[in-house]
Amino acid sequence: MSTQISGAGARRKGLTLTDVLVTVVVSLVLGVVYHVWSSVYSLVSVLFVQSDELVYGMWFAASTLAFLLIRKPGVALIAEIAAAHLEIAFGSAYGIQLLLYSVVQGLGAELVFAAFRYRKSSAFVAGLAGIGAAAGSLLIDIYYGYVEDYATWLLIAKYAMRAVSSFVIAGYLMYALAKLLERAGVTQSLRPVDRKEYDALND
Amino acid sequence: MKRFFEPSYTTWLHRANPALKLILFVALFVMTMFVHHIDASFYLACAFLLLLFVCSGYPLWKTALLTAGFALVFVSASLTMILFGKGAEIWWSFGPIHISKESFYRGLHLGFRSIAFGCQGLLFVLTSSSTGLFYALMQRLKLSPKYAYSFMASIRLLPMVGEELRIRREALAVRGAGGSSGLGGLLRLPERYALPLLAQSIRRAQRTAAAMEVKRFDAGRRRTYYYPSPVTANDAAALLLLAAAVAAAFLLARNLPVFGLGDMRMDP
Repeated sequence: MSTQISGAGARRKGLTLTDVLVTVVVSLVLGVVYHVWSSVYSLVSVLFVQSDELVYGMWFAASTLAFLLIRKPGVALIAEIAAAHLEIAFGSAYGIQLLLYSVVQGLGAELVFAAFRYRKSSAFVAGLAGIGAAAGSLLIDIYYGYVEDYATWLLIAKYAMRAVSSFVIAGYLMYALAKLLERAGVTQSLRPVDRKEYDALND
Repeated sequence: MKRFFEPSYTTWLHRANPALKLILFVALFVMTMFVHHIDASFYLACAFLLLLFVCSGYPLWKTALLTAGFALVFVSASLTMILFGKGAEIWWSFGPIHISKESFYRGLHLGFRSIAFGCQGLLFVLTSSSTGLFYALMQRLKLSPKYAYSFMASIRLLPMVGEELRIRREALAVRGAGGSSGLGGLLRLPERYALPLLAQSIRRAQRTAAAMEVKRFDAGRRRTYYYPSPVTANDAAALLLLAAAVAAAFLLARNLPVFGLGDMRMDP
């Protein structure tokens, strides 16, 4: 009996192999869906300059969705790294670069979730985490693309669009998807068991 | 596809330890990111392009095919900066577009740098295997096996996702629900594709992970490995080779400048 309880305790805290594999796979599936979606991306990018930023939030979607499903510290970062790993595994020339981007973006999202002590999993918090990831990408863009030397209107337009798209796609869209998955019944076995559910057993 | 990505001969870079090589290439990336002179970025792009052709272990035509995309990368990396960058000495302007001397050369510099990044990335990817990298990360950098085996297992799960996507698309077409275009169809894409694919894949990942946990793939670090991943003289050779390429680029930039311009940023 006591081993049962310590097992449950261990499940609540650290990441298990199941958590890691599910996170990686969520990121991978979103990657595949993204490639279907990329027809939209190319459609949008001809609209006006930098308008491809409007779907940029898709790059951060895996990290917030993984957190909304599993609700443990670290999964947002792993989901971002998994996306970069996919690029490396399939011979992208920009794998190393995406790896560094993914680490900083994942940390940006993790910081937001950590600010809410990993307790809140609303669409709004997920949206904020998306913005956190976008802020991470801006940090590297400054070194990588000298974006601060763009004309000021362009700089503001580019990152405002990126922030809005991150908020909507990584926040509200992924929240809706997580709700749909909840209804489909795939999430019960993923989440750590709440204390109040243990208490309910004693009642 | 797998046949295509098989090197026809191996070099020091192939035989070097993948984990140490990853550290080396990340350091190279960070170093390149702090290059702010156009001559240095130009010669770095040249040096790594040369290294890519000589050391990737692929026949000339394959490497040429893989690098052909860099032309597009060059344009996309430089164009926005050329057209919309800040600068004092205006050459041409039309509406919101201001092409200045500074923004033009800054754009070219970004283009050269993105080619250098691309060559470095391709050099790493073409000389390492995913499995080799994770075995090396476990053995040399003490990465926990649960992460390494999860990432390796995910590669095996990918073809199934692709297959399911194809089946899903055909099933929707048969039912006459696939081809709805316009904004409505676009907005229903997540529900139609992401949801079923995610639900299937998460369930499969859970089953796979449960089996892997039972088989103790997540056990501690006191274990042995099927593929040993030692540090050899090849690592030193790889380090020297990359250092020589960087040194050559910097020496050429200093002694044989093509552009002869200063720092490319507005206010460094």
